[in-house]
Amino acid sequence: MKNIICVNNLYKLYRVGDTAVRALDGVSFTVREGEFCAIVGTSGSGKSTLLNMLAGLERPTKGEVIINGHHIEKMNESELVSFRGNNVGFIFQSFHLLPALNALENVALPLSFRGEERGLRKKKAEKMLRMVSLEKQKNHMPNQMSGGQQQRVSIARALVSDPRIIFADEPTGNLDSRTSEDVMRLMQKIVSEQGRTLVMVTHDMNEAEYADRIIRVIDGKIVENKEKRRKQEI
Amino acid sequence: MRWNDLFRMSISSLSRRKLRTFLTVLGVVIGTSSIVVMVSLGLGMQRSMYSEVEKNGGASGITVTGKGQEEMPGDGAKKESRTKYITDEVVKQLAQLEHVKSAEPVLSLPAVVLKGSYEGMIEIQGMTPAGLASMNLKMEKGGKLPDPDSRELQLVFGNYVLAGFTEKGTGRGYWETGVMPDIDLGKDPLFLVLDQDGYARSGQPADMGTEKQGGDGAGNAGISSAPAQAPKKYAVPVSGVVAGGEKNQNANSENVFCDLGVLKEYLRREFRGRAIPGQPTTKSGRPYGKFVYSSAKIQADDMKNVERISDEIRGMGYNVTTNKEYIDSMKKQFEMVQAVLGGIGAVSLLVAAIGIANTMMMSVYERTKEIGVMKVIGCSLSSIRRMFLIEAAFIGLAGGITGNILSLLISGIINIFVSGGGMELGGSISFIPVWLLFLSTGFAVLTGTAAGYFPARRAMGLSPLEAIRNG
Repeated sequence: MKNIICVNNLYKLYRVGDTAVRALDGVSFTVREGEFCAIVGTSGSGKSTLLNMLAGLERPTKGEVIINGHHIEKMNESELVSFRGNNVGFIFQSFHLLPALNALENVALPLSFRGEERGLRKKKAEKMLRMVSLEKQKNHMPNQMSGGQQQRVSIARALVSDPRIIFADEPTGNLDSRTSEDVMRLMQKIVSEQGRTLVMVTHDMNEAEYADRIIRVIDGKIVENKEKRRKQEI
Repeated sequence: MRWNDLFRMSISSLSRRKLRTFLTVLGVVIGTSSIVVMVSLGLGMQRSMYSEVEKNGGASGITVTGKGQEEMPGDGAKKESRTKYITDEVVKQLAQLEHVKSAEPVLSLPAVVLKGSYEGMIEIQGMTPAGLASMNLKMEKGGKLPDPDSRELQLVFGNYVLAGFTEKGTGRGYWETGVMPDIDLGKDPLFLVLDQDGYARSGQPADMGTEKQGGDGAGNAGISSAPAQAPKKYAVPVSGVVAGGEKNQNANSENVFCDLGVLKEYLRREFRGRAIPGQPTTKSGRPYGKFVYSSAKIQADDMKNVERISDEIRGMGYNVTTNKEYIDSMKKQFEMVQAVLGGIGAVSLLVAAIGIANTMMMSVYERTKEIGVMKVIGCSLSSIRRMFLIEAAFIGLAGGITGNILSLLISGIINIFVSGGGMELGGSISFIPVWLLFLSTGFAVLTGTAAGYFPARRAMGLSPLEAIRNG
């Protein structure tokens, strides 16, 4: 299996007053295609910074991020936008659905950014909603849905543009434990059934247990990088 | 992102904040309509001037008058030894100049009109049928131009000529009493006295105060030779009255027209053996050999050639006045008036633009998170900018269109209520041409877009990280 994400010697320094804080301190790892990877750490450990850099939302101070052969750290803003639009899906902690759009429109949004035709958009978005079993709620506005439902809409939105990589930032952070379980199962299913790569940031070890690979970050350094179980096909 | 999706998004975000959008649009409405109404006032004035000019032969009309020695301006460089008269030959000559479409002689002379207890001093303008036709006189219903083949003199009366009539005895007329003389021009013929001096001498009271046209030499010669007797009165019908009634004055309201050929015939009969008033005489008091006209009206084939023709005629030694010079000077004046009026209106549109900028800024702040999310899930920077620019432009468009509708209403109201005072302006004070509607709407859209530019840039520059932080 080829490596889809490759991080080499990544540094990020913040200046807080007069002192420089090392949010990331020489991080290197790889993620293989079709892998469910969890980045675990306490708050302030640098795990979110790491995810932001993988997605190109923040620039590293030093080091390389290579995703699918592209150097993320060298792209300019508009290249990043189109790269994200074509290769990356996002799942946020607090869902971030647009409040003015209903579930279906929210799911179809990334497609409309890519300029796809309206009818096609709708068809694809409906298919995604069916996958997350929310086809009945497709006309609901975000504020008419529960947190778990909103997160499922958000997952559908992340998947609609058929990305190879999905980034999830504490996807269960705003959910109760039962819905969290549902969401985690759903994500695991997507990875195993559709062969997508999922990188999830979490502080919860229990959730990390769903992943194939767990990377543990403390104070900007990787302290553990273990593959939990072998893929069956290997 | 597709344009129709951009539009849909922009309009949906505008409709999310209805009151705020409404208030911002209201600002643009006021701004646009103040500009449009202001400019429309200027345009109304300009248009009525143009229509006046149009009645006088339009912008391509040139009036040529003779040059007498006494009228010679003090330019010592070029002294004419002989006076220049407009005769038939000269008219023919003028007509043959390059770029001249037509040249028609005009003979104007003072006369007295009598009717019942009223009398009036008028100035008759004799013109050729072609010349009369080119005036494009608008007449009251049933009015006709004088028949050139008729043996009797037919007159076309301006709708304000009667206002100059006075009652015999009291000497009071329309301007004193406010009542038009009770004369039915269409029905009864009037009595025309061509020999004004004779009329004055015959003892009837006639106010000669304003009369200066009567040739002194000829008049005096008449006195010495002819015994004082009442001059002949001709019964002349009125073939038409210039339209406008008592309210609307125009350039021809105070004129009286008749056919030149018939008038000449009348004059020859009236002043047989004597000098015709207004006609030049030789030093010995004898009539000049040829008939001399007061002016010639020339129509150029194009406005552009007016200057060349008038220079050429000036070179021939005649006085030339063109409408173009008048128009040009008026144009400059009106442009200034319009700039001032439009400027006053523009101030309020500027205020509205600031309002748009403020609204869009608020909107960007409110939607910081949303914009960030959109960036993260693949919305390009240019799409985000466009989204905000379209929103701002849409505020401008809505305000512009509503503002124009409001301006049309205001303009209509002004025209209805103030038209009494707008008599001299020929009816409408406020005039909104179609181009002004489009221009002002376009301007409002442009203003909106310009005002939305910086907020849009700000939205574009927002870090997508904002979306992910502080959940």
